[in-house]
Amino acid sequence: MKPSVLRQGSRSRILAAVILGIAAIFVIRLFYLQIIQHGYYVDLASAEQMTRERIPAKRGEIYAMSGDSPVKMVLNETVYTVFVDPSVITEPKKVIDVMKQVAGGNVRDDFEDSVNAKELRYRVIANKVTRLQADKIKDAGLKGIGFQAVSQRVYPEESLASQVLGFVDTEGEGKYGLEGFENDALKGIDGRLETVTDVSDIPLTIGDRNVREAAQDGKNIVMSLDRNVQSHTEQALADGLKRTGATAGSVLVMNPNNGQVLAMANLPTYNPGKYFEVQDAAAFNNGTISAPYEPGSDVKTFTMATGIDKNVVRPSDTYYNTDSIKIDDRTIGNATKGHTGNITFQTALTFSLNTGFVTVAQRLGDGQNITKGARDIMYEYFHDRFRLGQLTGVELSNEAKGILISPDEEDGNAVRYSNMSFGQGLDATMIQVGGGFSAMINGGNYYKPTILAGEMIDGAFKKNADVQPVQSGVVTASTSSQMRDMMQTARAVSFGRTDKKGYNIGGKTGTSQVIKNGQYSDTETIGTYLGYGGAETPEYVIMVSVSGDNKQLQGARDALPIFTDISNWMLDYLKIQPKG
Amino acid sequence: MSNQSTSYYVNRRQQNWSRNQNTTRYVSAIKLGPVAHTVLVALMIIVLGLIYVTQATRTTGYDYEMQKIDSQIADYDQQKSELEIENTRLTALETVKNSSVAKEMTASADTQYVQQ
Repeated sequence: MKPSVLRQGSRSRILAAVILGIAAIFVIRLFYLQIIQHGYYVDLASAEQMTRERIPAKRGEIYAMSGDSPVKMVLNETVYTVFVDPSVITEPKKVIDVMKQVAGGNVRDDFEDSVNAKELRYRVIANKVTRLQADKIKDAGLKGIGFQAVSQRVYPEESLASQVLGFVDTEGEGKYGLEGFENDALKGIDGRLETVTDVSDIPLTIGDRNVREAAQDGKNIVMSLDRNVQSHTEQALADGLKRTGATAGSVLVMNPNNGQVLAMANLPTYNPGKYFEVQDAAAFNNGTISAPYEPGSDVKTFTMATGIDKNVVRPSDTYYNTDSIKIDDRTIGNATKGHTGNITFQTALTFSLNTGFVTVAQRLGDGQNITKGARDIMYEYFHDRFRLGQLTGVELSNEAKGILISPDEEDGNAVRYSNMSFGQGLDATMIQVGGGFSAMINGGNYYKPTILAGEMIDGAFKKNADVQPVQSGVVTASTSSQMRDMMQTARAVSFGRTDKKGYNIGGKTGTSQVIKNGQYSDTETIGTYLGYGGAETPEYVIMVSVSGDNKQLQGARDALPIFTDISNWMLDYLKIQPKG
Repeated sequence: MSNQSTSYYVNRRQQNWSRNQNTTRYVSAIKLGPVAHTVLVALMIIVLGLIYVTQATRTTGYDYEMQKIDSQIADYDQQKSELEIENTRLTALETVKNSSVAKEMTASADTQYVQQ
């Protein structure tokens, strides 16, 4: 017999049934919440407890060489943006006084209004406040004031090599120069932190869902550019512009034996740390790589090397100079007149006579005309060997390609190639000309121009492996030697007295007409000088270019003295001993 | 065919039991009922739980310690970075050129080389 409490219809039984029913509701509800809605509530809890943060990667630093040691050119600095919540500020006058006293140079013009604007919640009142300043402000114990850490680039050398370095914009992206070209490598990869935190946002190790991926800091790049060479080059260029009245100029200094750039100077210039103050964006451009121009008479060395290498001329060979030469319906004249009659090609180079190099172009053909065969040879040497009109691949932003018309194109006719033989009718950058010229004088090895020397790893300098020539046999060793002699003679005849004794210094002047509105201007020219220096072997190549609106600048008068200044200094700096 | 002697392992307890046939086992007079068992199990669970909570709290304590040390490292890193920047600024060519020491220097003469 059942106990009386469980008898059917008893109150206890009803109560038990009710309790059971309620328990069943609880179980069903809990099943719904814990099983069916599990994911939803886990997400809600995660959102409440978990903190997700980006671990910012440190942007790589940039070094330049100083002799054999790398020195820092670009670093990172943490500064603070100071903001206020005016509705929380209890002592506005004290906030204003402290800010003026501690960070007077960093506050915004309207910061007092911001502090007193009670209806606002967030106002920035000062930028780029240092840690020491921030600590002093914190020590004042002010309410309603906060700090946000911001990383910024520091350029301690200010405007030195600014166009080579480039800058980093407010979004943290590198622009121009090395900062732009190597932006991805310099930026690194941000890390990630997902963790349970307490009420003070302190990460806790409880739970098994914490994620910590360390940031991969950016690469610390060492440039081949030498800080001392760069500084002297910029000074020599500035002095040269002052002397000549030119308003713009560029100088490229490179090692012809490995393609490494030692200096790239450009004026006007700017301070990358204050790039936002620049009025004319042209100042950001690196003229040695971004501004193709007609190289003018510097190219005569390329034409002569082509002729010698193809065994159609020798420096001592002669031609009959009448100071003009006719190609199709065009007559080409010499800028320097009077050296008429039977003269050598050495004389033609020394006095930069256009007729001599048009004659070389003719001799590459049938001797009378610049035939298709002659043009093909010139194109092969200029474009495929000396690599004019091709990107060099130097590791800097905004490199321009230039233009070299192929003989297969309609415009690649005899008139164009006669002009090209003395440097007109083609566009090339200084880095292209410098790279090709290096191959011409170093025995015939073309090295890719480079600005990189290696990287810093854990504070130690790791040099790049020794570079190999991209192309050997650009010209024969004999051609290279004859070209060095020709340029040395050309320089010695007119300008050698300014050089240090006991060294081989050679070069070629260039004066290029500027094309304005599709026509050569009679009132504006660019003066250039392209040369090399060393003792037994060439140790450096220097190319100088000076220009100015409506200024007639000449290679010999305006660019050459800048070359001489840098060249004589380089001999001492590189500790090159004189011959014999 | 060679003869091999086989040795058998006899454990010591077994030997003892064999030697001391009169040994008696002690049986406690205290009997635990089901309720006492349940209470004991519950107590054990509580003790183990407390041990777990203590350990978990200890790791959290380490988190605060770690956070403090991380913060100190970050501060020192920043100070080091600031000193490096200051050092680089002070040794920048422009700073050196404009220094009072540099201004009092005489221009260097041309390098002369001695022939051997």
